[in-house]
This record gives sequence, structure tokens and C-alpha cells, in this order.
Amino acid sequence: MTGVRLIQAEQAPLLARPYYANRDPGPIVAALAHVPELLEVTMPFLDVALGPSAVDARTKELVILRTSAVMGCRYCVQTHTVVARNTGLSVEEVAALRGQAPLEAAFNDPRELALLRWAEVVAVGPGQVPEAAQREASLHLSEAELVELTLLVGATLLLNRFCTALELPTSPKVLGRLADEGWA
Amino acid sequence: MSSVAEAVRDEVLPGRVWFYANYHCNLACTYCLTESDPRAERRELGSQRMLALAHEAAELGFTALGVTGGEPFLLPYLPELLARLAAILPVVCLSNGTVFTEARLERLRPLAELPAQIQISLDRPEPDANDAMRGPQNFRKVVEAIPRLVERGVRVRIATTVTAIDDHERARLCQLHRRLGVPDADHIIRPIVRRGRAVDHGLGVDAGPADLPAELTITTDGAFWSPFGPTVHGGRLDTDLLVTRTTMPLRVPAAALLRLVQGRPPGADSQLNIR
Repeated sequence: MTGVRLIQAEQAPLLARPYYANRDPGPIVAALAHVPELLEVTMPFLDVALGPSAVDARTKELVILRTSAVMGCRYCVQTHTVVARNTGLSVEEVAALRGQAPLEAAFNDPRELALLRWAEVVAVGPGQVPEAAQREASLHLSEAELVELTLLVGATLLLNRFCTALELPTSPKVLGRLADEGWA
Repeated sequence: MSSVAEAVRDEVLPGRVWFYANYHCNLACTYCLTESDPRAERRELGSQRMLALAHEAAELGFTALGVTGGEPFLLPYLPELLARLAAILPVVCLSNGTVFTEARLERLRPLAELPAQIQISLDRPEPDANDAMRGPQNFRKVVEAIPRLVERGVRVRIATTVTAIDDHERARLCQLHRRLGVPDADHIIRPIVRRGRAVDHGLGVDAGPADLPAELTITTDGAFWSPFGPTVHGGRLDTDLLVTRTTMPLRVPAAALLRLVQGRPPGADSQLNIR
């Protein structure tokens, strides 16, 4: 049961059709397809914000999965558990990012710990990011990285709330992989 | 000149913008695209919105308007609205031709001096065959209404929507519309499109973007590729020909439609005489 009907291929609006060409577009596209003009700007944005960029994939997945776990987004946590594992994160690291173990138990790189603490306070808010977290992150991240990762937290929050509020279903393929690896 | 105006001038984009004035109707035709009937939700676009859209359509470079439904003439403000729309751009209004009371006919008289047409559905030259598709007494009401519009100087176009029509029946139909005062140039024959209620009755031809002129069509639910786009089946709006949910400002769906049209391969334009 979802909070919104997912648009199937035969009802895909014209601007959404490229996303349905010979593939399952996934629930985010199938929900956004209700408003095609939003779909056609949101997906390219998400592709750039979450996809390959100047910041390495591992760093980005740390931010995405940690933010999603802190925000309690079932869809994003499940989906990015698989993405994180595919990116090379260990079972222990993913478990810690999901909140199933202390971060310090899985991570010992000061840069990554600073990044994770910073991402969490950026995501949760409210108000200004505490000066200590901002200063610690600045020691390890360039201004360009801070900008990109701040936007990544924001894009992840957008997805967290979108997927949670609309109760988007996790794909069977992802659920199968989670079951295979013993994730709850 | 706007990109829309250039596209209309170059015949890349059709010049007409359609408004779905409402979705309710006094009839329940077997091939109705929108499952309209007296109980259908009205979903009116509203006169102020249509006027604002018409002004913007003219500014963008569109050259004509169309009003359809539902049965638009169930809206009490329609005669005066048509005159105001026609003062902005030439307008054609589609009607089933069954609600033209004497008072309403008189209110339509100003259209005689304006670039306005009323397109009335008449599918068969004999009452029984016509009314089987469109409902009891439809034929009688239509053949009474058309001459009364014509004698007031209102230009009438007749649309015949059929799965097939043989030469003899076509000849009888043409004799009829000439007798009613409608010339051959104002009679169109078009196929039933298999959408809406026509799906349930196994009627019509399948039609997609390649078959339908890209006539920007505005409804309460959004902007569509064609007036054959915002169809309803099983009580649910079809979205396969949805362009954008945004309808105002009109430049938003107009730009999106133009991008879609320009993305089509050469020659992929209308083939089915669906208009």
C-alpha cells in the first residue's frame, strides 16, 4: 500500500516516457510522473547530486545512508544499504550507518567520522550547524566539497521525506538482496 | 516573436488551444472520451480562467481557440463567454446541439458578427441509427437546432464521429446537412477514438501522439497533447497524453508541448484525420 498511486508504463505522461523505456522506472519516478514537469527537472538534479561527481562514491554513500537512517526513511535506508554494499562499504560500516552499532565501532578515519557527525547535524537541525561540527568538517573538506555535500544532505532529505510521506514501496529486487544478506 | 509563434507560423505546432470547459453532460454517448453524463463531476475550468488563458494564448502566438467538454452549453455563462473569447481569438465550441432553448439561441446571436463557430455532433442521417449512439431524441433536437442557429447568422460546423460510413449513408448525411444550411466545407467526418467509454464498447481506433495533432488542451487536471488526451476510463483520468499539470502561465505547458513536438521524428504527425 502506498500513499500515492504509482503511474504504470501505459499511463506514463509524455515527458515521463523516457524514464519508462524498456525498464522499470522505480517508485520515485512512478510517483513523480503524476507531475511530469517536476519529474523532468528533479531526476536530472538527483542524478547529479547523488551520482558520480568530484566527490568519491564512498563519501557520498556515507552521507546518504547516514542521513536517511537519522531521518528514519525506510525506503532510502533499504535502497542505500544495497547501494552502499555495492560501493564497497563493509557490513559493519553499513550497520553502523544504519544506527545498529556506534559509528566509532566501524569507522576510525578522522575525516569520515567528522563527515558523519557533520552530516547528522546538518540533516537534523534545526537552525545553525554547531560551530564545532562545522569547524571539524572544514578541517577535512574543501569548500567545494562542503558545498557539494551540503547539497547532498539536502537532496537526501528531499528524498527521505518524499519517499516516507508517500509510503513508496521498496523494490522487490532490493528486498531480495537485503534478505540474502540478512538485513532486517 | 516567441518560439511558440514561430512554431505556429511554421506549422510545427497547431495554432489552436483547447479548453475543457466542463466534464458533465446531459447525454451519455457510447463512445464518449470522458465518460461524461449527467452525474459526472463538473470539473469546470471557469470563465475567468478561460479568458486569462485566451489572452495569454494570443500573446504567445496561438491563432485560435476551441471549447469542449462535457457539454459546454450546460454552463449558464457560455454564450457571453464565447463572444468574449471570440473577441480575443477565433473560437470553435463543440456541442451536442440538444440544449439550445430559444433564450439561449438569442444570447448566441452576437456570435454572428464574430469569428465563432459551433460544432455540433451528428453521426447518422437517420434518427434510429444516430440515437442508438447518442441517446433518445438526439437527432430531432439537433436537426431542429442547426437551422435556428444558421438563421441567426451563427456559423455551424457538423462533426460526424463514426467507426465507418458507406458512400450511400454519407451521401444521405451530406444531403441532410446541406438542407440544414451547413455547407460541405463545414462538415467533418472523423473516426471514433478508442478511449474513454469507447473502450468498454469495443469501438474506435487506437490513437497516440503520432496520430493526434499536438493541439494544446487545458483542463482542470492539467495540460494535454490533444483534446483527445484528457480522457476518463473507469472513472480515472488518463495521463498518457498529459503534458504538464501546470496550466497557468500558459507558456509553461506551451513550451513543454513544443519541446515534445520538436523531439518527434520527421513525418510523425497526424494520420487519422482526428480533429
